[in-house]
Amino acid sequence: MSRHAAEGRLVRPYTMTGGRTGQDIPTIALEGLVAATPEGLSARHQFRWEAERIIELAGDGTAIIELAALLDVPVGVVRVVVADLAKRGAVQIIDAPSGTVNDLDGIAYANLLKKVLDGIRSL
Amino acid sequence: MESAASNGPRPIPVKIVVAGGFGVGKTTFVGAISEIEPLRSEALITEASSGVDDLFENGTKTTTTVAMDFGRISLQNHLILYLFGTPGQDRFHFMWHELARGAIGAVVLVDTRRLDACFAAIDFFEQRDTPFMVVVNTFDGRLNHPLEDVREALNISDHVPMAYCDARVRIDVQGILVQLVEYALLRALQEIPA
Repeated sequence: MSRHAAEGRLVRPYTMTGGRTGQDIPTIALEGLVAATPEGLSARHQFRWEAERIIELAGDGTAIIELAALLDVPVGVVRVVVADLAKRGAVQIIDAPSGTVNDLDGIAYANLLKKVLDGIRSL
Repeated sequence: MESAASNGPRPIPVKIVVAGGFGVGKTTFVGAISEIEPLRSEALITEASSGVDDLFENGTKTTTTVAMDFGRISLQNHLILYLFGTPGQDRFHFMWHELARGAIGAVVLVDTRRLDACFAAIDFFEQRDTPFMVVVNTFDGRLNHPLEDVREALNISDHVPMAYCDARVRIDVQGILVQLVEYALLRALQEIPA
């Protein structure tokens, strides 16, 4: 990639996060879900377009990585905007149990895997 | 402020990683079972970086993007299974940590014409102690390598499951995912104190 192209790619994400790096927010798993709250849905027009789109796309639960793909922006940018929206109550983050596997006890984790197994088998 | 838009049970996201060398059929594998066309998402990285989110810290670093393909399968009981294809190029291995963190397990796809392309993935999941299985992609019908020969060639432990799969065929992919989760479950049960 040429240097010029690399710079070109940066413009939009940089603008969308106001230049913030996201280092001050907890990392949400790539598969962590974002769900719009009723408050967020009714107030969505008050947000910048990208935040508004995230609220609309989120619905009952859409993964961070899916939002990034649908909006065609890098994952890190979505994390920053989503963290802002969560702070303001416009979305709810449904973190992945798989992102906190070590916090689940062994039996709870085994039960989760059994459900996943049943689910894949009955596809 | 706690309630989401709907009052139904909250969905639970889980993930499985699909790894292997460049062009081995990872996205084909994901696409064979995903309910959406595999999507591509990008993370911005710096060449010197060990993470994806510290890009803006220093504008003078060389930046590049790393692409991840993924698919989604809605399962019963409000589970949503995400399948993540790892970036193929070796220089993006640090992204694997993020992909593997909390994953149920990993499928390492193997093309028997290029066995060495999967070494890095096998090493990675072994060291990380992530449940993984090795799957020989038979996308052109070649079955001329017995699995035990592949196991020996790759020096894979006896307990690691191995299988053939045509990555284009949904029922094959479904069977692989069943085997992988069975194996992950077995390992999880073994770790529960009696």
